[in-house]
Amino acid sequence: MTNIKWMFLVLVLVAMPSLAGEVSEDPLERQMLEIAKLLRCAVCQNQPISDSASDLARDMRAIIREQLQAGKSRDEIIAYFVERYGNYVLLKPPVDRAGAAVWFLPPLLLLVIGTFAVVFVRRRLRQPLPPAPELSDEDMARVHAARDQD
Amino acid sequence: MSDQTFFFNLVEVGHFAAYLAMVVAVVQGLAPLLARQLRMPALAGVAVNASVAVFALTTLGGLTLIHAFVTSNFSVLYVSQHSNLQLPMFYKVSALWGGHEGSLYLWVWILTLYTAILGWHGRTRYPQRLPVILAVQGWLVVGFFGLILFLSSPFERLFPVPADGNDLNPLLQDPGMVIHPPMLYLGYVGFSVPFAFAMAALLTNWNSTLWSGLIRRWALIAWGFLTTGIVLGGWWAYHELGWGGYWAWDPVENASFMPWLLGTALIHSITVQDHRRMLHAWNIFLVITTFSLSLLGTFLVRSGVLSSVHAFAVDPGRGAYILVFMVTVLTISFSIFMIKGRAQQAQESITSAFSRESVFVWNNVIFAFACATVLLATLYPLALEALTAAKITVGAPYFNAVMVPIFLVVMLLMGIAPLLPWRKANLAKLRSRLTIPAVLGAIALAIMLVLFQPTHWTAPVAVGLVGFVLGTIVTDLLRAVNQRRAQLSEHFGRATLKAVLANRRHYGGMVIHLGVLVMALGLVGSGLFRSEITVAMAGGDVLEISGERLRFEGVRTFRKDNYESLQAQFTSLDSGYVLLPERRFYPRQEAPMTESGLDSTLVRDVYIIISERSGDKWIFRAFVIPLVQFIWLGTIIILAGLGLTLSSRRRKVKQEAIDHSSLAHAK
Repeated sequence: MTNIKWMFLVLVLVAMPSLAGEVSEDPLERQMLEIAKLLRCAVCQNQPISDSASDLARDMRAIIREQLQAGKSRDEIIAYFVERYGNYVLLKPPVDRAGAAVWFLPPLLLLVIGTFAVVFVRRRLRQPLPPAPELSDEDMARVHAARDQD
Repeated sequence: MSDQTFFFNLVEVGHFAAYLAMVVAVVQGLAPLLARQLRMPALAGVAVNASVAVFALTTLGGLTLIHAFVTSNFSVLYVSQHSNLQLPMFYKVSALWGGHEGSLYLWVWILTLYTAILGWHGRTRYPQRLPVILAVQGWLVVGFFGLILFLSSPFERLFPVPADGNDLNPLLQDPGMVIHPPMLYLGYVGFSVPFAFAMAALLTNWNSTLWSGLIRRWALIAWGFLTTGIVLGGWWAYHELGWGGYWAWDPVENASFMPWLLGTALIHSITVQDHRRMLHAWNIFLVITTFSLSLLGTFLVRSGVLSSVHAFAVDPGRGAYILVFMVTVLTISFSIFMIKGRAQQAQESITSAFSRESVFVWNNVIFAFACATVLLATLYPLALEALTAAKITVGAPYFNAVMVPIFLVVMLLMGIAPLLPWRKANLAKLRSRLTIPAVLGAIALAIMLVLFQPTHWTAPVAVGLVGFVLGTIVTDLLRAVNQRRAQLSEHFGRATLKAVLANRRHYGGMVIHLGVLVMALGLVGSGLFRSEITVAMAGGDVLEISGERLRFEGVRTFRKDNYESLQAQFTSLDSGYVLLPERRFYPRQEAPMTESGLDSTLVRDVYIIISERSGDKWIFRAFVIPLVQFIWLGTIIILAGLGLTLSSRRRKVKQEAIDHSSLAHAK
C-alpha cells in the first residue's frame, strides 16, 4: 500500500506529531492482568479472561479493575469470582475434594513408573544373557538371500 | 450451480469410489487370513494390489470433493456449509479439511496413502510380512470409512441447492491453518505404520532385528510430521488468535501433544533396541500406546466431547463410534501383545547402570510420566463432570507448574546421555567429560542471573541446562573430530564433516537436540521475558514498550476478498518499520478476527493488536516478545537433524541387522 493511498484512507486524522503525547499504561492494568491470567472465561474453551475477546471476559476484567480501585487484594478478588462461579473459574484447580486428584496422582504415577524402571534395570543387571531365539527357516532364508546380495 | 443436475454429478462418482474403497479395504484386511485358511499363499499378494486400489479410490473421492469446492457445488451439503462464492480459491481447496466430515476424510486419505507407500516399500524389503502389515492397515481403513460413510459423510447432498454457501470458519482462513491439519494428520496417522509393523511382528513371530529398524524409521517420519504439525498450530495461534502466545495447554493441543510425548519416548527406546537388542516388548507396547493416543486425539477433537460433555452424552453418534473403534483397536492389539509378546524377547541384558541404555530407560520413564500427566489432567475434568457433575478447570497455570520441571529433567538427561557410552561407562572418564559442559552450564546460569534479572527460577535453570547440553554435544563431536585428525591427519573442517557424515544417525540426533535447545531458549525468552502494555491512543500518540517507540498513525477500512478490514498503522520512531494490526469482519460471523501487526527480528518480535474502541480513542495491546523466532528456527533445525538421521544409508542398517541375526543364530 503506497503512502498516497494511506493519506486518502486515513479515517482518524493524524494529529500533529509535535502535539501528540506519549501514552502510558494505567498502572492498574498490570495488576488486573496478573489476576485475569488465573481466571477462566466461563463461556470460552479453557481461555483465561486476560486473553479472551468475549464480552464476558471484558466485563470480568472491568470488575477486577473496579475492585482493585476499591483497594481489594488479589486474593479477595479471586475469592469474589470463586463465590460467583465456583472453583470452575480457577485455571489452577485448588487441592480440594474435586481437584486433589490432579495434584496427588502425578507424583504417584511417577513413583509407579519409576519403581517399574528400577526393578526392570536391576533385574536385567543380574540376569545373564538370555539365549538367542531361533530364527525361523523363512527368516534364515532371508538372511542368506540378503547376505548373498551384498 | 443450477446446471449441475440431480442425475449426474461428479461427486456421486466420488461417493461411490469411497464405498468401493471400503469394500476393497475389507478384501485387503482378509487376504492374508484367507491365504492361510485356504492354503493359497498367492492370495496374500492380493493385499498389495488392494492397497494401491484403496488409495486410488480414496483419492478419486477426495478429488471429487475438492472439485465440488472449487466449482462451488452447493448441492453438496458439506461444501455449502464450509464454502461460498467469495471464498478465495486457495481456501476453497483447503476447506476440504475445514470441518468435521472433511477432516475425517483427510485422515483416511492419508491412511490409504501410507498404506500404498508401504505396499511399494515392502515389496522387496519385507515381502513375507507385507500382506499382514497391509491387512492391519486395511482394517483401520475400514474402521474409518465406516465412520465417514455411515455417520459423517462429506458426500451428503442438499436439495434444493442453495444459491450461495455458508462461510469457512474465518479462523481457518490463514495459510498456517491450510497446512497445519495435513501435517498433524500425517503425524497422527503416521504412527499407524509402526503399529502395523508391531502387529505383524507379533502375529508372525517376526525376528526383532528385522523389524526394529523399520519401526524406527517410520516412527521418526511420523514424529517429524507431528512435530511440524504441532509447531505450525502454535505458529498459527501466535499470528491469528491475538494474545501473543502460541501454546495454551488447551485440550485440543494436549490431544496432539500426548502422542508426541510417547512418540518421543519411542524414537529413543527403539534406538536402544537397534544398538543393544533389548526392550523389544516395551517398544511394541509404546508403539501400540502411541497409536492409541493418536486415536484418542482424534476422538477428543472430533467427538465434541471437549466443548461439552453433555452435548456429547445427548448425541453420542460419531463420538461413540470413535470410542468403540478405539477400544476395539486397543483390546485386540493388547490381547495380541499379551498372547504373542513373549516371543519378542530381549537378546541382551543391561551390563551397567551407568550406560547409555540405562539413561534411555530414564528418558522413557520421564516421557511416559509426562504423557500420563497430560492425559490425566486433560481427561480428569471430563470424567469428573460426566460422573459427579462437579466442574473443575485444569488450565495453563497448572500445566506450567507441573510440566516445566519435567522438561528441565528431560534437558538434564539430554545432556548426560551423549556422555555415556553404550554398555558400560568408565566413571573416571565420565567425570572428566562432565567438566567442560558443567562449566559452560554454570557460566550460562551466571550470565542469566547477573545480566537479565530473571523473575522466575526456571529461567536461569533452563538456560544453564542449555549451556550444559550444548557443552556435551560439542565436546562429543570434538572427541570424534580429534580422533580423526590424530589418526588420519585430516584438517579440522574435513574431519568434522567426515565425522558427522560417518555417523549420521547419532549426529542427526545431536542436531535435533540442538534444535530443541534453540527452541528452549525461545520458550524461555518469549515465556518469561515478554513485556506487555495496554493503552488507549488517539492518532499521533506514541507508545513506548521495551525501548521501542511506536507512533499510531491512524486507522482505515478497506474490503478485500471476502472480508472487510479495519487496519491501524504504527510507525517505529527509531527504526522506521511499520506495523499493521487488523480486525477483519467476515459476513455471517459475529465476532471480528484479529490479525496481529508484527515486526520480527531474530532477537525480538514487536506484536500489536487492536483490542477495542473506546470513545474517540483506540485501545491497543502491544507486546515485545524476545526470542520467539527461536521457536520456529529450532523447529527447522530439528527437521534438518531428522533429515540427517534418516539419510543414514539403509544398506548399512540392513547389513548390521543381518550380522546380528546370523550372529544370534550361530550361538
